[in-house]
Amino acid sequence: MAKRYEIVTHGGVLSTQPPLAVVYLEGSFSKPATPSTKQIAQKNFAFVPPLRPVQVGTRIEFPNLDDTYHSIFSYSPAKRFDLGRYRPDERPIPSEVFDTAGLVTLRCDIHEHMRGLILVLNTPYFVMTNPDGRFRLNGLPAGRYVLKAWIDSKTTRERPVELKNGGTINVDFP
Amino acid sequence: MIFRAKANERNVTRFRTRLAIAMMLVVSAVTGLGIYLGQARVNANAERDLRQKFQAELSGLDKLQELRNAAMAERCRVLAEKPRIHAALEDNALDLLYPSAKDELHDLIEGGSESSDPSVGFLHALFCRFLDGNGAVLSPSHPKDVGELSPKTEAQLALKTLPEKQQIGYLTEYVDLADETVDEVIAVPIFSTETGEVISALVVGFKPFEIASKRAGVEVKSGIWAGRRLCMPSLPKAAQTILNNEISNALSKAKRAKNSFTVTIQEVPQLLFYKRLNPGSLFPPAYEICVYSLVDSIAQQRRLRWQFGGVGALLLLGGFVASHFVAVRFAKPVEQLALDSERNRAQRKQAEAELISASEKLKRSTRYSADASHQLKSPLTVLRAGLETLLAHEDFKPEIYEELSTLLHQTHRLSGVIEDLLLLARLDAGHLKIQSEPVNLSQLVEEWLDDLNALPDSPDVEIQKEVPPDLYVAGAKRYISLIVQNLLENSRKYNRKGGRIRVAARANGSEICLTIGNAGQPIARDAQEHIFDRFRRAATGATVSGHGLGLNLARELARLHDGDLKLVRSADDWTEFELRLSAAQPVVERAS
Repeated sequence: MAKRYEIVTHGGVLSTQPPLAVVYLEGSFSKPATPSTKQIAQKNFAFVPPLRPVQVGTRIEFPNLDDTYHSIFSYSPAKRFDLGRYRPDERPIPSEVFDTAGLVTLRCDIHEHMRGLILVLNTPYFVMTNPDGRFRLNGLPAGRYVLKAWIDSKTTRERPVELKNGGTINVDFP
Repeated sequence: MIFRAKANERNVTRFRTRLAIAMMLVVSAVTGLGIYLGQARVNANAERDLRQKFQAELSGLDKLQELRNAAMAERCRVLAEKPRIHAALEDNALDLLYPSAKDELHDLIEGGSESSDPSVGFLHALFCRFLDGNGAVLSPSHPKDVGELSPKTEAQLALKTLPEKQQIGYLTEYVDLADETVDEVIAVPIFSTETGEVISALVVGFKPFEIASKRAGVEVKSGIWAGRRLCMPSLPKAAQTILNNEISNALSKAKRAKNSFTVTIQEVPQLLFYKRLNPGSLFPPAYEICVYSLVDSIAQQRRLRWQFGGVGALLLLGGFVASHFVAVRFAKPVEQLALDSERNRAQRKQAEAELISASEKLKRSTRYSADASHQLKSPLTVLRAGLETLLAHEDFKPEIYEELSTLLHQTHRLSGVIEDLLLLARLDAGHLKIQSEPVNLSQLVEEWLDDLNALPDSPDVEIQKEVPPDLYVAGAKRYISLIVQNLLENSRKYNRKGGRIRVAARANGSEICLTIGNAGQPIARDAQEHIFDRFRRAATGATVSGHGLGLNLARELARLHDGDLKLVRSADDWTEFELRLSAAQPVVERAS
């Protein structure tokens, strides 16, 4: 887990502050047989973590860790959902399965300022950079791929890569 | 005189009539002016009142509108802050926009119909629409929830750009083909919480505020002119069309300088006010139109006219009465004046008539005497000639000679009378003109005294002469001589035996005064004043010859010479006449 950061809006563009990127390997990969479950909590009126890349088919739980109602919803094309208002003691923890790749903006209907981002990816190979912008992706399959870097809601960079078994490459996204 | 009095009365009546007419004119002018000014004032007042009313109504509307706009702004702010709406707009989930705002919009729309309080009723909308980032209308998936609109109406909601501020617009809503209403719309911008930019606008439609149709007794028709069309439901379609044209004209011409004009709608003059409802709006210009009936004002004018007319009539009546009195008062002296002048005229006329008749008489008498003298002269000449011829005969007896001689003497006397009469007649007629020259009076007196002494029947009288030499008078010698002759003859004729004659002359300033006195029986006192009359002889004695014309002739001639002849004394055996004549400078050659 990296240092604390938050989602900010700048000219209609959502990004993290300090800026973090998600680097992932684009390609056609099979879905895992058993979808994983991840969590994005609401704590101190913020989503924790604010940005979470997940593979398609992942279930995300939204536990409410504040002592008040939250009402998580998203109007994003990749996933529209509305969990409605719930308290911390809501059981089971409200969750959603994200089947479509894309960026999902999380909002709270009660706390207007709250923003969270879920980057739903078709690939299991992704990683978040550290605040310095460094990243490391391990265990990637060999072959020709496109390595992409999501920088903000409007910006995604990409680089074609050719991966070889046991090899290591360095990719810079200027 | 009666006729004159009538004419006089007529004059007074004319005077009175003129006075009355003048007063009538003045009163009419004053009344007319009063009516004119009053009417203008009523007009101005009516217009001002109605204008104030209009302004008051509008300011009332403005307040309501402000209130509504503020309420709208607040609602929209709250709405725009809704995360869901933001989410819908920002996350490109426009299909979720209306559903997300459903509750709030529902509040906006439905609340009014449920609320029975009209004061808050105006806050409730007829419809709501969102505009997208380009100002185009986002059609709702369930129009029922946000107020149904025809596509034509909905299209009018679109704006070219999204507004930064609230915009007010008015649009014609075509409910169906025949009917149309005007809606007031308020477009409230929705700012993105992320970018701070306008990302959308909420357009809310309301029923426009209506100015009460009847307030303070003045009938008001109000409507809205929007989108080049007039919507004034209280008027029939045809009238609306006409009015629409007029308003369009007025709006295209007048540039806010005047916001009213008079129109005639359905044969009733109306004062029309208009005011832009949405200045500076992105929506097409719309105007509030208020039409106030001028019926009251006209009625007031009529009433005023009647009042003024009544007052004028009263004034006129009063004027008549006053003029009557004034005329009577004025007329009295005038009447008196007229009467007096009438009397004067009558008197003058009479005097003139008398004068004319006297002059006629005089003329007649002078002509008569002239004619008579002439007619007498010729037979007398014949007679004298005959007598003289007879006297020339020598074979008559001495008695006959004596008789003939007496007859001849009588003809001479008659001749003298006729001469005198002729002279007098000429004097009377004014035909006698003298040629004035210096006449030596002293010499004249001397000559006549000599003649007097030389007369055959010269009486025994003493003649005293106190005449300085070379006294000259101005006149015709012939007539002066005649005067002196007459006086001297008289003084001899009326003298007594052994009496005396005194002739004295002296210069008295510019006059020469000649007095001739004689002794003898004085003239009776009561006869004295008549001695200068014609054919009147003072002396009673039959012994005295004469015909009673001498003194008269002498005085007439003296007066002809700007002098006079007076009897100065006739008493105590002494009668004295005084002749005054103008003195003249002696002329040496002629005097000699």
